[in-house]
Amino acid sequence: MYLVFAIRRILNAMAIFVIEMLIFSVLFTATAERTLRAQIEESLQPEAARLKNASALQVQAFVAQRRAYLFHVSHLDQPVPVRVLWRAIDAVTLQFGNSITIKSSRGERSVWRIIMETVPRTALLFTTSIVLQVLLGVWLGLKQAQRAGGTLDRSASVITMVVYGLPTWWVAMIVIMVLAYMLPLFPSGGMHSIPPPQGLAGILDLAWHMVLPVVTLVIVSFWGVALLARNIVLSILQEDYITAARARGLPERTVLFGHAMRAAAPPLTTIAILSLLTSVFGNIIFEGIFSWPGMGNLYWISIEQGDTPVTLGLLAVTTGLYIAGLAMLDLIYGLLDPRIKTGASA
Amino acid sequence: MADPVVVVRNLSLHYFTRRGPVRAVDDVSFELQRGETLGLVGESGCGKTSLGTALLAMPAPPGRIVAGRVMVEGVDILSLADEQVRRQVRWERISIVFQGAMNSLTPVLTIGRQMNETLQRHRKTPAAEARRIIEGSLRMVGLPPDVAGRYPHELSGGMKQRVVIAMALFLEPRVVVLDEPTTALDVIVQAQILNTIKQLKKTLDLSLIFITHDLATEAEVADRVLVMYAGRVAETASNEAIFGGGACHPYTKMLLAATPRLREKVSELAFIPGSPPDLLAPPAGCRFRPRCPVAFDKCGAEPPLSEIAPGHMAACWRCR
Amino acid sequence: MSGVEVPRNRRPEDHRAPRPPARPWLRDLFSELGREPAGVAGFFMLALFLAGAVFEKRLVTFPETSSRWHDITYWDEQPASAPPVWTNAFAARKSAVSLVLGPSLSSRETSDAARLVTTVFTYPYPYDLPPRDLVVHFRGTGEIPVAITLTRPDGAEITLDQEQVSAGSGMDVRISIDKSAGQAAMGLLQGSESADAMAAVDVDRIRPTTVLFSQAGPGMLARPQALKGAYKLTLLAVLPTAAAEVSDPRLVVTGRVNGLLGTDNSKRDLWSGLIAGIKWALLIGLLTAFVSVAIGVVWGVTAAYFGGPVNWVMQRIFEIFSNQPVLPLLIVISAIFKPSIWFLIVIMSVFFWTGPVKTVYAMALSIREETYIEASRALGAGSARLIFRHMVPLLIPYAFASMALSVPGAVVYESTVSLLGLGDATIVTWGQILHDAFTGGAVLGGLWWWVVPPGLIIALMGMTFSFIGFAMDRILHPKLRTR
Repeated sequence: MYLVFAIRRILNAMAIFVIEMLIFSVLFTATAERTLRAQIEESLQPEAARLKNASALQVQAFVAQRRAYLFHVSHLDQPVPVRVLWRAIDAVTLQFGNSITIKSSRGERSVWRIIMETVPRTALLFTTSIVLQVLLGVWLGLKQAQRAGGTLDRSASVITMVVYGLPTWWVAMIVIMVLAYMLPLFPSGGMHSIPPPQGLAGILDLAWHMVLPVVTLVIVSFWGVALLARNIVLSILQEDYITAARARGLPERTVLFGHAMRAAAPPLTTIAILSLLTSVFGNIIFEGIFSWPGMGNLYWISIEQGDTPVTLGLLAVTTGLYIAGLAMLDLIYGLLDPRIKTGASA
Repeated sequence: MADPVVVVRNLSLHYFTRRGPVRAVDDVSFELQRGETLGLVGESGCGKTSLGTALLAMPAPPGRIVAGRVMVEGVDILSLADEQVRRQVRWERISIVFQGAMNSLTPVLTIGRQMNETLQRHRKTPAAEARRIIEGSLRMVGLPPDVAGRYPHELSGGMKQRVVIAMALFLEPRVVVLDEPTTALDVIVQAQILNTIKQLKKTLDLSLIFITHDLATEAEVADRVLVMYAGRVAETASNEAIFGGGACHPYTKMLLAATPRLREKVSELAFIPGSPPDLLAPPAGCRFRPRCPVAFDKCGAEPPLSEIAPGHMAACWRCR
Repeated sequence: MSGVEVPRNRRPEDHRAPRPPARPWLRDLFSELGREPAGVAGFFMLALFLAGAVFEKRLVTFPETSSRWHDITYWDEQPASAPPVWTNAFAARKSAVSLVLGPSLSSRETSDAARLVTTVFTYPYPYDLPPRDLVVHFRGTGEIPVAITLTRPDGAEITLDQEQVSAGSGMDVRISIDKSAGQAAMGLLQGSESADAMAAVDVDRIRPTTVLFSQAGPGMLARPQALKGAYKLTLLAVLPTAAAEVSDPRLVVTGRVNGLLGTDNSKRDLWSGLIAGIKWALLIGLLTAFVSVAIGVVWGVTAAYFGGPVNWVMQRIFEIFSNQPVLPLLIVISAIFKPSIWFLIVIMSVFFWTGPVKTVYAMALSIREETYIEASRALGAGSARLIFRHMVPLLIPYAFASMALSVPGAVVYESTVSLLGLGDATIVTWGQILHDAFTGGAVLGGLWWWVVPPGLIIALMGMTFSFIGFAMDRILHPKLRTR
């Protein structure tokens, strides 16, 4: 039943992740190796410097031996397909190595740590936005479906079409220009003021820094959710069972919420979350405009500084999160739709 | 003694589409007596389903009832406010089993919940009593009571149809409208459902309006028949009169002829040539005229529905 | 990226996959479109964009914008970070506008020693804020001593520059007053300002044009007042040899406001840049949309048609591609491999095809059950024929709607990649302009003309296709229409 469905879906997700890591390895193995070799060479220098009493020849021999050893440990001396495989295994087991220049706030060079530091910040920003988008979007969509064709519906539809091709990061630029530069009401970026205040003042400071990015995201994106909600609810309202429910003398409110919304919940939830998921990963760049120290911002920095291990690690983590998100989506859908919960029909 | 439980007078229902009003039901009048089963018969698109929805004051959008009265137990339901119709008429006095029962049940709620919801809406009933009523009504249509805990998709087509019938009856309304209750089912299940309906009719003393395009089913279940064509009544009489050779309207006669009998030798299948008129712009005069084999010059004027024998009415110049 | 991305329909029931229309032909789709106001608006805008792309050379102020966007010499005469000319209408203090002046007077004198060429330019100056520069141009040959004098409306005659010009044959000579008239400006200041004010002055920081166009008097440095009127600039050239020659003199006034949409900090005219970007946006959007939807439709139909193991494999491949966040991968690939625009289009198409597949699959399944398909097969029709002649054509209206709705996504993705500075450096795209704006501090510097128009035009292109796409979508889903 549901358990079987859930397990299969999770295994599916894991398989897809592994295959995608393999594909990434094939694509990026040359670049990754270049960086790895450079890093190994770099690490050999201080080692060589420590041999004070050895002759030049001895130092050379030592370095060569160390190099061979380190190459062997990193599988750099193997034929190409094997190397690709090892890179993939590294990615799947989340071993992303060290960065070239970027350090975490604690000074660590481990790519994993650097990335993990940014994930909660991205989560904070986008989760807040998503919650607001869903609330506003579903509310608006419902209102639109109730009086379909009316003024609200039509004007909302027009606005949805207008913002459809709007880059969120550009709106962010405008918002900053107007509300942080021309009228200095909000900070132009970052997560905290410097120095960051503590306690309640700290939370308020954080909220103040969150206002612009969240508002920008929500204002641009919730229209799409509203459109989806409207369409799904509208098409359900035309189903026979809704008419049948009305014929039974049920009041409109019950029909709308007890029947229509209930039936709409599975597809609505999935489509809304799906669209939001894709918009999160499409908007991740927008963090950079606000210098919000999350994953998106890290993309900016690592690309600017050419820190490939961080970039590649980010890609792997982003992909993993996306796959996990989609799997979770299906699991939620399975919970909501009785047709899946109880198995195939008689 | 004539005891009409439903009286329809001059009912007109139009669908207001982009291209203009489609006159699906045009000036239709008839009566349903208590305890009687009236069969509403006609081709697809003749307006019978629309008529069914009008009886619950629920025309499908973009339809609107533009004229006429629908009296259910003496009350003109078209004159009532929405709220009153919902509370007092729908399901209390008159209920409906829609065409395609598979789609009448909300897929995300269990049968029991849907029945209970309807029950509580109309009569506040404590839980134990409610369960008893629900299980009783399921048993009445020949279903095991554990169906109440199932979701619609877990039932077969025939079972769903029975559930819908149970739902239509369990509040004991006076009149039940059944719109093609067996069309989507295979023959065996069809026969079972028809038997159930006939039994229920007897045990609950129901007044039924049975909408179908299939004369054979109609003959089985109904007492009287009302033949519709192009949104108007063509002929109405008792089943014996019609099936016993007393049919008068040419359309009725051709319908009867088109239904092959099991025991007759049929060399050629009879059919009615042509197709029904466009209800957006119906032809002047008798609407059947273009396809009628016995049309003559008087047919240029619309024939009124008039009594040609006691209890037998027809709208045809040839029948007077 | 906006909220509703390339629609990725996961489950057929979710999207209420419609029965393919009985009369699916494009003619019907487009004629219905004429009745939808959104569709009409969209096509109107599309026509404007197409016209913009086709007539680019005539619309831009700088005809070689496309090929020389990154060539700094092409833009040298322009002011940097200048607002558009029409802002003067709203400004309290009017800024000088760029223009090119021909000589108002030209004379030659011949004597035994040499020929003297005198060229006078009259520059009417009614503004409050002076131009950034005055550049004297001429074609010269040989060793030519020149002198440039400015006659101000208050009568003052100032020698701006005196130098010896060495020109190859017919070489374009340019003398910038901003660069050469520092001393002259100082002279004017010394004559007017108090000693204290002069003490605080740093020679290198004076803008000659600000001084030269201000009223002379105390306080002219701290609170310059514009001296309005007609200015005469005289170019005196001595031609010592017979071979020496001076011709085609021009005075280029580099204004403080410039162009229809101003300039960026590299002096490039933004109007020209935006117009030049139209063709790339159209190319990227339409090509990606067409290829990806074409692949998607064929994929969905083929999978539905064959079913069984073929379908299973196709579904798995589909899953691999649809489970990938496209933009991050696009960015990383661009960062590492620095692809050209064509490669970018290919990569986008390689992922966008997953969008329409689920809906197409559902629709194709229902088509497959149609008896005429079975009948065709019984008559001996091959699979390819059935797929391409019978099934795919029914999906073409849907394909069109899907294509229209995919265009904005492709355009925004490319803009996003360019925003990060990873775009194709040989072409001009709107995203690149915004990248330059962001890294050039336009946002925090309030250079709105650099930030707003490029994004606005991206939005307008998005609107064009979303209007068309949603109008088509409404026609295909009549139940969701409410009129």
